[in-house]
Amino acid sequence: MSTTTDPVPPFPPHIKRFFDAELESFRSHLILMGETAASQVRSAVKALVEGNTSLADQVIAADDEIDQLEVKIDEEAMRYMNLRAPIATELRLVIVGMKASHDLERVGDEATSIAKRAVRLSAEPPLKPYVDIPRMAAIALEMLRDALDCFLNGDTEKALAVCRRDAEVDQINKQLYRELTSFMIEKPGTISRAIELMFISKSLERIADHATNIAEEMIYLAKGKDVRHSDELKKNGGAG
Amino acid sequence: MVTAATLMETRSPAPNLRPTMPAAATGQPAGTAAPAAEVLIDIDHLDFFYGASQALYDVSLRLDTRKVTAFIGPSGCGKSTLLRCLNRMNDLIDGTRVAKGSIKIRGVDINRPDVDVIELRKRVGMVFQKSNPFPKSIYENITYGLRLQGATTKARLDEVVEKSLRGAALWEEVKDRLHTSGLGLSGGQQQRLCIARAIAVEPEIILMDEPCSALDPLATAKVEELIHELKTKFTIIIVTHNMQQAARCSDKTAFFYIGRLIEYADTQQIFMNPSNPQTEAYVSGRFG
Amino acid sequence: MAALVNPHIFQTRPSAARRWERACFGLFGAATYLVLFCGAAVFLTIVAKGSRTIFKAEAPFINTTFFTDAPESLYVFEWQGKKLEMGDREHRAFIEQHPDAAKVKTESYIYAAGGIFPCIVGTVLLVVGSMTIALVLGVCAAVYLNEYARDGAFIRFVRLAILNLAGVPSIVFGLFGFGMFVIFFGWNVSLLSGWFTLAFMVLPVIITASEESLKAVPKGFREGSLALGATKWQTIRKNVLPYALPGILTSSILGIARVAGETAPIMFTAAYVVRDKLPWQVEKFSDFFFQGVMALPYHIYVVSSKIPQNEYTERVQYGTALVFLLIVAVIATASILLRNNLRNRYKW
Repeated sequence: MSTTTDPVPPFPPHIKRFFDAELESFRSHLILMGETAASQVRSAVKALVEGNTSLADQVIAADDEIDQLEVKIDEEAMRYMNLRAPIATELRLVIVGMKASHDLERVGDEATSIAKRAVRLSAEPPLKPYVDIPRMAAIALEMLRDALDCFLNGDTEKALAVCRRDAEVDQINKQLYRELTSFMIEKPGTISRAIELMFISKSLERIADHATNIAEEMIYLAKGKDVRHSDELKKNGGAG
Repeated sequence: MVTAATLMETRSPAPNLRPTMPAAATGQPAGTAAPAAEVLIDIDHLDFFYGASQALYDVSLRLDTRKVTAFIGPSGCGKSTLLRCLNRMNDLIDGTRVAKGSIKIRGVDINRPDVDVIELRKRVGMVFQKSNPFPKSIYENITYGLRLQGATTKARLDEVVEKSLRGAALWEEVKDRLHTSGLGLSGGQQQRLCIARAIAVEPEIILMDEPCSALDPLATAKVEELIHELKTKFTIIIVTHNMQQAARCSDKTAFFYIGRLIEYADTQQIFMNPSNPQTEAYVSGRFG
Repeated sequence: MAALVNPHIFQTRPSAARRWERACFGLFGAATYLVLFCGAAVFLTIVAKGSRTIFKAEAPFINTTFFTDAPESLYVFEWQGKKLEMGDREHRAFIEQHPDAAKVKTESYIYAAGGIFPCIVGTVLLVVGSMTIALVLGVCAAVYLNEYARDGAFIRFVRLAILNLAGVPSIVFGLFGFGMFVIFFGWNVSLLSGWFTLAFMVLPVIITASEESLKAVPKGFREGSLALGATKWQTIRKNVLPYALPGILTSSILGIARVAGETAPIMFTAAYVVRDKLPWQVEKFSDFFFQGVMALPYHIYVVSSKIPQNEYTERVQYGTALVFLLIVAVIATASILLRNNLRNRYKW
């Protein structure tokens, strides 16, 4: 019997702390915010595609909810950092939570912006059938979902994939840009609608950017490694 | 192609998260939604002397029922002195006196001549900096206070021992060795035994004088958890040198400096946004 | 520096400090072994010479009569060409059988025959009684001084007085006891007078040591008890004295040796040169306390200074001294066992 194979005695079970509930609440609020933001984007795009102004109005009205959640999350984070002195994963969670909540708040703002434009566009006939915009929205939402999934279960592979997909959305955005530019050159009457659509496309592209940010933050949360602007992402950056 | 409409339905974790929200939300800062707390201890313009040297200057403080109040401040600031005034442990030191002001517990000035200090100490328990289980069995340690009061029936004593040890989160660890020496326990267990001993006589107030200063972080965490649980039944006052502990455990915090109460407020305020620059310097570890 | 080839940074070098250290430790060691040597010389002399008295060559190897009989005179005479040694009673019986023996030239030596049983009994009684009194008084006084009395000039004076009392020669205690108990209280030469005299003699040791033991009980035990609503007396009785007891007993072991060994305090107050009756052979119970007793140290004193010296008395002297040492050892061992038992019960 060699001593080198002796197993390390097991650690005692973790102590449940009374303030664990506060962290749980913080996490829940963040998840709730993510869901609300995603649902806002989905509804805004739906309102645009269906020309549903009442749905668009709902989206605009609901933005307040997201803003409130951001305030709440910041407050909880400040309180937790102040009174509970988190370290390691807990500290990353609180800081990442604050940053992600800011991104999600921006996602909510973009959704509102899309909804406002959807209201304006509904007054006129559609420029062309909406194909690319729902496609972009679907990709952006999927990215957002994957990023939040990483928050839930620490699946960093999925989060890395999110970062790599960002280019795909950028591609569609550029393509739509060219398309809409040619519309405007050919028929000046479409200029105002084309510009609205350009902005909507830009919003969706930004939503995808925020999703990417969140994914990067979640990787940092799970691994403690900052992947922003790193080679790891750029390697396969073009693939989509 | 995935459509926007079907996207959210594929998210499996979502539905079971929302129902947990109300439960999670209860982890909110204590005191924000609580009803106005009842004042249990009213310290009014208290001056206290050790012989010729003054230890407390004009301290006024109102402590709430079933709350944890932390006393913080540099060594020699009078926080322990004030704590020991509350069960008149200072009587044991020659030449101590309350020169001015009063301490009222439930409206009764505890320094009145007709106050029985024995009765006072039954109601105001104390846990000391250095855990001091008596060199007797765990069982005898817990029953010590009760036996003083004349309780002798075994059934009653057994019941109290179990209740107190459970109350101090120690029952599971020691139930099989109640009749072994209390000094055979680890440091953290000893301190929880002292807490169990204090709650066995069912006081209303528990004073804790740096209860964790000699404990390792894990034992400290357990004592802190215990404090959090005990505050549903007892009013707790804790003196600590550990800022994080004050921040974690207490509802209100009082900061003392050379015998004076500098700031007394909700713990969150003291640590987030203290109104006194001295307090801020102290809690951020940049004192002087 | 030729010796230091490639010296490293921790190289040993001779220095004055090192020489001093060696010299001092040598001195300390020598002092210790000198004391040890003296003690051993005394002890071994007593053991060597005393063993001849209390052990025998044939079974049961122990001279039982020495332990169980009272002292007698020894008669030495020549009978039919043999030199015979007989105790008083034996000699009388011999004369009855052989009336001629009465005419033989016989030397008699007082106390050189028989045993020392009454002395053993007396010493044990004196030790037990006086230690009981001394412990009760001493512990009470120590508790008062250490726990109740406020530290002031008067208490400091009392402490000083107690310390000085420890330095008073034992003969002074003997005279005090004689004046106080024997004459003033009218207790005469008695166990009671001896008990109190001896008790007062060891009180300073007991009080001082008890105070130290009480001081050694951590403050936390007192505070913990008081904080649970105990009175001061409850605290002392349940949570201080039990823990101080081992220390008090340790000090009383020293007291035992002193009480058992002192001659001067009892020579005027409790000790008889010789007494036929044993202490329990009394008419009524109260007489028990008012009778004098024989005692080992006094017996040694009498045998070695009051009667003509010769080879026969020397046997008694050393035998008695050895028995005395053994008895002190037995009582001290009992105390140590008791103390260890208590110490194990209350360990902190």
